[in-house]
Amino acid sequence: MTTDKQTCFLQLCLGVLAIVMSQSMWAQTDVVRCVEDDKLRQVCVEQAAQRIAALSPGATELIYAAGAGDQVVAVVSYSDYPPEAKQVTSVGSHTRLDLERLVSLKPDLVLAWRTGNPSEQIATLERIGMRVYYVEPHNFDDIADNIVDMAVLAGTEETGKKVALEFLKGIEGLAHTYKNADPVSTFYQVWDEPLMSMNHAHYISKVVELCGGVNVFADSPRLIPRLNQEAILIKNPEAIIAGGMGERNAHWLDKWRAFPELKATQQNNLFFVPPSLIQRPTPRLLEGAKVMCEKLETARQHRG
Amino acid sequence: MSRRYLFSPLILLLLLSVFCMVTAITQGSVQLSLGQIFDVLQGQGTSLNQILVWELRVPRILAAFATGGLLAVAGALMQILLRNPLADPYVLGISGGASVAALLAILAGVTGILLSSAAFLGAALSTILVFGLAQGNGRPSPMRLLLTGVVVASGWGAFITLMLALAPPQKIPGMLFWLMGDLSYAHSPWLAWATLLPVCLVLIPLGRSLNVLARGPLQAAALGLNVKQLERFVFVIASLLTAVAVTTAGSIGFVGLVVPHILRLILGNDQRLILPACALAGGCLVTLADTVARTVIAPEQLPVGVITALLGVPTFLFLLRRGRVA
Repeated sequence: MTTDKQTCFLQLCLGVLAIVMSQSMWAQTDVVRCVEDDKLRQVCVEQAAQRIAALSPGATELIYAAGAGDQVVAVVSYSDYPPEAKQVTSVGSHTRLDLERLVSLKPDLVLAWRTGNPSEQIATLERIGMRVYYVEPHNFDDIADNIVDMAVLAGTEETGKKVALEFLKGIEGLAHTYKNADPVSTFYQVWDEPLMSMNHAHYISKVVELCGGVNVFADSPRLIPRLNQEAILIKNPEAIIAGGMGERNAHWLDKWRAFPELKATQQNNLFFVPPSLIQRPTPRLLEGAKVMCEKLETARQHRG
Repeated sequence: MSRRYLFSPLILLLLLSVFCMVTAITQGSVQLSLGQIFDVLQGQGTSLNQILVWELRVPRILAAFATGGLLAVAGALMQILLRNPLADPYVLGISGGASVAALLAILAGVTGILLSSAAFLGAALSTILVFGLAQGNGRPSPMRLLLTGVVVASGWGAFITLMLALAPPQKIPGMLFWLMGDLSYAHSPWLAWATLLPVCLVLIPLGRSLNVLARGPLQAAALGLNVKQLERFVFVIASLLTAVAVTTAGSIGFVGLVVPHILRLILGNDQRLILPACALAGGCLVTLADTVARTVIAPEQLPVGVITALLGVPTFLFLLRRGRVA
C-alpha cells in the first residue's frame, strides 16, 4: 500500500513537472499549437479554437475548467455543470449525436469521448474534415493533462495551467495528509441493482487509495465488477460509500443496515458521497476526494 | 390486362418511394429550404449545405431505403419458404449470428468495415449452421427448418445476453446500437443497393414458381416444380438479404414481418407483384421512419426501430380489421 501511495505521489510530482516544462516549451512555439490526445494522436491548430463542441458532460466540465467556456458552441444532454453549459446548444445524447446540428454549428474543435461516443459518428466527423481531440482521462494526471491540452488548443493556456496545477496541488495535498493514515478497507458502491464496484484501475479507486482507504475489490479482474451481497459480506469492509446517479441515493445504504454483522454497519460507517463530485473525471473530483477523505477519517474515529 | 394489374400498383409505389426520399432529403434537424437543396443537388450552395446533404442526409436515406427493401423482401420470402405468417427475416437466427459476431468484434475493439464484415460473416455462419442442422437425415421440411432456426436464434440470444453482462461498460452503448438497429451508424449504402437491385431482378421471373410454392410443396411438386432446389434458393437469397440488411443498420425489427402482410392485405397474394412491392414499400417505411427518428425530438435521436413499429402497428391493425369486415 505504501509503495502504491509513493508511486501516486511520484506521479503527481512528475505531472506538475510536465506542466511546468510544457509551459516553458510553449513560449518558444507560437505558430502551430499541437497537443497529444488520449488516443495518442497529434492534434494541431493553427489558431486558437473559437468554436468548440464538447461531446460528453465530462468534456464540457473540462473545457470550462480550461477557461474556454465562452468558446463552447455545442454540448450533449446531461451537460449540467457548470450551470452556464445548460444554455449551450445541445446536439443530442452522447451515444446518438445529431450530426446535422453539430456540423451546422461549424465547430473548429470537437472534444470526443473515446469510449462513449459512437466511433462511426466520430469517424464521419473526421472524414468531413473536423478536428477531433479524444478525451479519456483515467487518473488525476490525465485530468490535468486534458485541461492543459484543451487550454492550449483554445488559447486559454494561462487559465488552464493554473486550474490544472491547482487541481494537482489539491490532490497532492490530500496524498500528503493521508500518507501515513491507518488503512480503512472500503467498498465503493457504483450502482445498486445490479450491485457494482470498481477495481484498482478506476480513478474512483485511486481516490479511495488517496484517502488511505483500501478498495476491497481492487484486485477484481474487471474494471466494473458486478457483485452480489455475499461478496461484500465476505470482504466485510470497514466503510461502505454509496455513489449512483442523482443526489438522492442515500437509501442504498439502508440495505446494509440489515446486516448487523458487517463491520461498516456495526461502526456506523455507511456514507454517501455526491456522485456528481466523484463519478466524472473532472476537476470537481478534488472536491469529491475531499469529501471521501473526510468520510474515511470519520470511519477511523469510529474505531473503539 | 394482367400486365396492367401488375404494373399500376408498382408505379404508384415507385412514385411514393420518390416522394418519401425527397421528403427525407428536405427534413432534418437543420432546416434547409427546397431552393437550397435544389442548389446543392446542382453542385452549388454553401459548403456547409453540401456536407449536410451529400455527406449526412443522402447516404443515410439511401441506406434506410435499401435496408427497408431488403428486410421486407427477405420477410416475404421467409413467409413463403416456411409457410408461416409469423416468419420474419430474423426468425432463423440470421440476425442473432450477425449480432454475436458484431459484438465479439466490438469487444475485440474492431470498428468500421471490419465490424460490418464480422457481422456479415456471423450471418453467413448462422445460415450455414441452421441449414446444415435442418438437413439432418436428408429430409428437410419447412417445419424442421423453422424449429432449427428458432432454437439456434435462442442460442444466439443467450450469447448476446452473456456478452452484454460481461462486456466492459464503456462498450455497451455501441453494442446496444447493433441490437436495436439504427441508421446513424450506416455510412455506406452501396452494399445494400448492390444486393437489393440484382436480387429483385432475379426474383421477378421466379414469381410464378413462388406462387406455386406458396400453395404447398405437394401441389408445387405435382405441378412439376423442383421444390427442393427452389426452397434452397429462396433460403439462400432470404439469408443474403437479411445478412446485408443487418450489416448495414443492425437488427431493425418489424419491417420484415409486417410490410409483406400489409401488402398482401391490399394487393392480394401474387408473388410477382408482392416481392417488388415489398422492396418499395419496405424502403418507404424505413425511410419515413428514419426521417421521423432523426427529427421528431431533435437534437435527441431515436433508434429507427421504435418508429417503424409505431407507424407500422396501427396501419397493420387497421388493415387487418378492415379486411375482416369486408
